[in-house]
Amino acid sequence: MNLVLDFAAPLVFAALGGVLSERAGVVNIGLEGMMRFGAFGAAAGAIASGSPWIGLACGALAGAAAAALHALLSLRFRANQVVSGIALNLVALGLVTYLLQSIFGSAGVSPEAPSLPRDRFGHTALAYAALVVPVLFQLWLSRTPAGLRVRAVGEHPRAAATLGVRVLPLRAVCVVCSGLLAGIGGATLSVGILGQFDARMPAGQGFMALAAVVFGRWTPLGAAGAAFFFAAADALQRHLSLTLHAADLRLDGLFLALPYALTLLVLALGIGRTRAPAADGIPYDPEART
Amino acid sequence: MPDLRARLFRPARDPAWGAAAALLASFAVSFVAMAASGRDPVDGFGHLLSGAFGGPGPLGETALKTSILILTGLSVAVALIVGLFNIGAEGQLIWGALAAAVVGRLEVPGVMLLALLAAALAGGAWGLIAGWLKVRRGVHEVISTILLNWIAIHLIQGWLVPGPLAATGSGAHVSVAGTEAIQRGAWLPRLWPGTRLDLGFPLALLIALGVWFLLSRTRRGFEWRAVGAGPDAALAAGIPAGRRICEGMALSGALAGIGGALLILGTEHRYPGVFRTGYGFDGIAVALVGGGSPAATAIAALVFGALRAGATRLQLVGIHPSFAELTQGLAVLLVAAPRMFQPLLARLRGRDAVPP
Repeated sequence: MNLVLDFAAPLVFAALGGVLSERAGVVNIGLEGMMRFGAFGAAAGAIASGSPWIGLACGALAGAAAAALHALLSLRFRANQVVSGIALNLVALGLVTYLLQSIFGSAGVSPEAPSLPRDRFGHTALAYAALVVPVLFQLWLSRTPAGLRVRAVGEHPRAAATLGVRVLPLRAVCVVCSGLLAGIGGATLSVGILGQFDARMPAGQGFMALAAVVFGRWTPLGAAGAAFFFAAADALQRHLSLTLHAADLRLDGLFLALPYALTLLVLALGIGRTRAPAADGIPYDPEART
Repeated sequence: MPDLRARLFRPARDPAWGAAAALLASFAVSFVAMAASGRDPVDGFGHLLSGAFGGPGPLGETALKTSILILTGLSVAVALIVGLFNIGAEGQLIWGALAAAVVGRLEVPGVMLLALLAAALAGGAWGLIAGWLKVRRGVHEVISTILLNWIAIHLIQGWLVPGPLAATGSGAHVSVAGTEAIQRGAWLPRLWPGTRLDLGFPLALLIALGVWFLLSRTRRGFEWRAVGAGPDAALAAGIPAGRRICEGMALSGALAGIGGALLILGTEHRYPGVFRTGYGFDGIAVALVGGGSPAATAIAALVFGALRAGATRLQLVGIHPSFAELTQGLAVLLVAAPRMFQPLLARLRGRDAVPP
């Protein structure tokens, strides 16, 4: 089950990004695109500089840059947040393949990139960070004044504004940091796990992270827990297909569909408090009268 | 999101101009991108145009892709009309494709119509799940349709097609072969020898006409629009809003399902082992640029269909076909934020300008 930690890390970072953005009241369907930019940016940065750490930083920045576009569109120009996220995903799909082909001359994979060092258990530092960061994030969100402000602009922006919180700038910062985290998640895929960029990345992991956010009820620990659970299902499926010749049984699809089906079931049955932040997805207009 | 359509399109005082401006701007940006990556953009766009409209072959390809995009675009547009954002056209499309591939194998008369019907039912049922979850359980449709997409993709492409429904006797090639071929009688007839233009194109246009009629000339269409404009007001006026939302989502799914059937009955003739269409996601772009009207959706489908068809020709000058996706994404990005154009439009209009 050594695989679980490796599989979970990208999901955990992206899901934490999703939590941050949605708790601040901005729907983030664009996680998939931000991860894609992050994965490509990390590989390109690592190849150009020769250092996987610089690559990681490039990936995080690439994700943040993509998120800045989302923030600009949805906050400054008050575009529909879902549309803006979808547009970002579409642009990421086209632009990254285009860049891959223009820079590296192949639309399939990038050349091999320097990857992050592994310890004797075969894990990168990012895998351990995926264990620690959710706890710190949870404490920050629930125990600090800054965390309270983030939650306030996600639940009731007008009330937060009357108390002197600058809603739109705070939301923008949260969205950009959300992209930073998703970018790190993407970088985990390219310079952490595979050691190169693959044109199919992140292959739906951004959407799975979104499901983890919902499944984890919009809390950092919940989302990270869901990410680990999803990764465990994934690892189990790979394990089974290796040992039981499940490839003959062809049950892979059932296993892969499981996390999504469970999330849908939890939502449909309304188990626990499955409520999004109250102002999630609602544009904030400072000049509107309510 | 009761006032979804209003919120999406309200800021553009002239939606058609906004969409046209967004399309032009996105082409301009990709023109610059092409130049920036060291290619001759004039040559590139020449290849793009000739790949889309230069002769019977390219025209057939454009029509083929346009017909699918009309259906997925209408699918998303119809859901927008009843106030729902259907991200799930892709999942509905592949269920429709699978239903068509399964029913298309039956040796019965009228198998083509049966396959189309089965596809509509399968896609519609998958769409209805999201509608039902929204109305009865309050599950936001954006989340549920994303989840349903991945459930469909993994169930069909990871289990049903390579597993229980795989073609027998294809041995080692099982994973790429897909399902058994459909009956010859289920194939959509080709209309123009030498091209891949088939009955799907007129069928899609006919369906677009039907959707337009339904939405703007019937009582049911009026009630759908009323529910989309404000479910509470509609309910107060005696319209069963929940049921209308479910109907809208079922129709939305059915349209996407028929799109999937056109792919199977027209070109693939089986459910292939590798089937990454992306048409469902492109349908979102088509519907958003089309602004929710069937006619504008058909025109947007033509623009993006031509782009998709023309992009294959770009490979001749060393540009990857993903260029089409880039342009399309930019168009949605620009359509998403009509406010960006307001200062410009205001300046163009001069005195008549309305303050943003």
